Amino acid sequence: MDNIYSSDLMEIYKDPSFKGTLSAATNRVDGHNPFCGDQVHLDLMIVDGVIQDARWQGDMCFVSSIGAEFLLEAVIGKHVEAVQTFDQRQLLDLMGLNLSTSRIACATLTLKALHEALDEYQKANNG
Amino acid sequence: MLESALIKLDFPLFSSHPDLVYLDSAATSQKPQVVLNALLDFYTHSNANVHRGIYELSEVASGLYEQARARVARFLGATSAQEIVFTSGTTAALNLVAYSYGSQVLHEGDEILVADFEHHSSLLPWQRVAAQTGAVLRMVTSDDNGQIALDVWKNSITAATKVVVVAHASNVLGTITDIRSLADLVHRVGAVLVVDGAQAAPHLAVDVHTLDCDFYAMSAHKMLGPMGVGALYTKSALLEKMVPYQVGGGMIEEVTATTATFATGPAKFEAGTPPVAEAIAWVAALDYLEAVGLEAIRQHEVALSEFLLAELQTIKGLRILGPKQASQRTGLVSVAVEGVHAHDLADYLSREQIAVRAGFHCAMPLHHNQHCGATLRASYYLYNDKQDLVRFIDQLHKAINYYG
Repeated sequence: MDNIYSSDLMEIYKDPSFKGTLSAATNRVDGHNPFCGDQVHLDLMIVDGVIQDARWQGDMCFVSSIGAEFLLEAVIGKHVEAVQTFDQRQLLDLMGLNLSTSRIACATLTLKALHEALDEYQKANNG
Repeated sequence: MLESALIKLDFPLFSSHPDLVYLDSAATSQKPQVVLNALLDFYTHSNANVHRGIYELSEVASGLYEQARARVARFLGATSAQEIVFTSGTTAALNLVAYSYGSQVLHEGDEILVADFEHHSSLLPWQRVAAQTGAVLRMVTSDDNGQIALDVWKNSITAATKVVVVAHASNVLGTITDIRSLADLVHRVGAVLVVDGAQAAPHLAVDVHTLDCDFYAMSAHKMLGPMGVGALYTKSALLEKMVPYQVGGGMIEEVTATTATFATGPAKFEAGTPPVAEAIAWVAALDYLEAVGLEAIRQHEVALSEFLLAELQTIKGLRILGPKQASQRTGLVSVAVEGVHAHDLADYLSREQIAVRAGFHCAMPLHHNQHCGATLRASYYLYNDKQDLVRFIDQLHKAINYYG
């Protein structure tokens, strides 16, 4: 088998657009996948309730990396409240991969971290 | 080498999946037809609960169950069947030691020593007992070769040491521990040695008398037997000091509304209906293993390890965990590939019908100490042949190129 993933995805994996850090981040969070130990560090810049920019950093597997890329592409420029309802199913649909149960945890690692960061943001700004 | 192609014919799963390369026997082994037959036979001809009825069928079932206990005792070289407690598996056996023995004898300031390559099921019960009793849990670190030298143990064991916990064989590194030499050190300070035998009993001829350990835990399902049954060997003098982990039916002497006295011997630790059919079918697995011969299985696995280690050493950026010599490990090899995640490798291999495990293998502290993330583990047994490993290596090369 030479191509288990499409060449488009392989390009994203090898040359990610949203990997890195934001020096002007307003919110930072770490996510953790206990199954394999992968960790993601997520930087967000949220201004007036809108995610202006975001970057992920981590030494992660293919599925986790693609999950982070598709997620950030989808949420940058959106309002926090809209992103809070963005769920696992929507992310998996965007990725278009047929994943086993154990690998869904890889795909959604950054999503879980993002939700945690947004919950904290809401608490800090509404409390 | 064993005639693995012929052995495979005894395992029906390989007929259902003719293209499967099964390299995850360290997680669970496949089961030969004789074990499946034994389960069916019990439920077809002998099913009744044990130690309860006076009718004939119950006595038959009880007899078979006790014969299974005696068979496990003989397999391990125990002095008597009374030294064997049936459990649901190694995890339950290790929890039983920690609760029933550890929580009784440990006090504040006492030390528990645990090897850093312990499976979580051999570490977490002692973390809890330490927290409950005030004992100190200390981890003994393995070296770059995945081994703990006897001198390191010697320097770690002190007068305060009361319990030493070690895997006979590591489920990640494959490292085989010299149990007898360690037992001598442990006994010199009056401590006890608890051995997790889950990864050793299926692969090595074990004789608890020679090893002189105080506790030895194992699971049937990793040695061709059914899931749901395992055993704890305990030296009889210690068994008497232990309190039951669970209480209920089948383990009592006399019960009043407010009090109870307990049965003696292993029954005290087997509250509730035990895994009777599974214990009886385990006998068929042990018979099968001994018919093939533990020594022959060992030689077969060492030959496979030699081949695999030599092939893996030629792969650039691949790190082999544990001892480099095949003779110092059981039938498994874990690797980390620089720049490629173990999950991705396992995923690729899975699509080629190759079953391997990726992750931390329930040994997170070890991966931390060995400075690596998730690893890829190939584990093999009597039914695997060189051809299985050739397919694994071929596809591993392709997977690394694909992601690299």
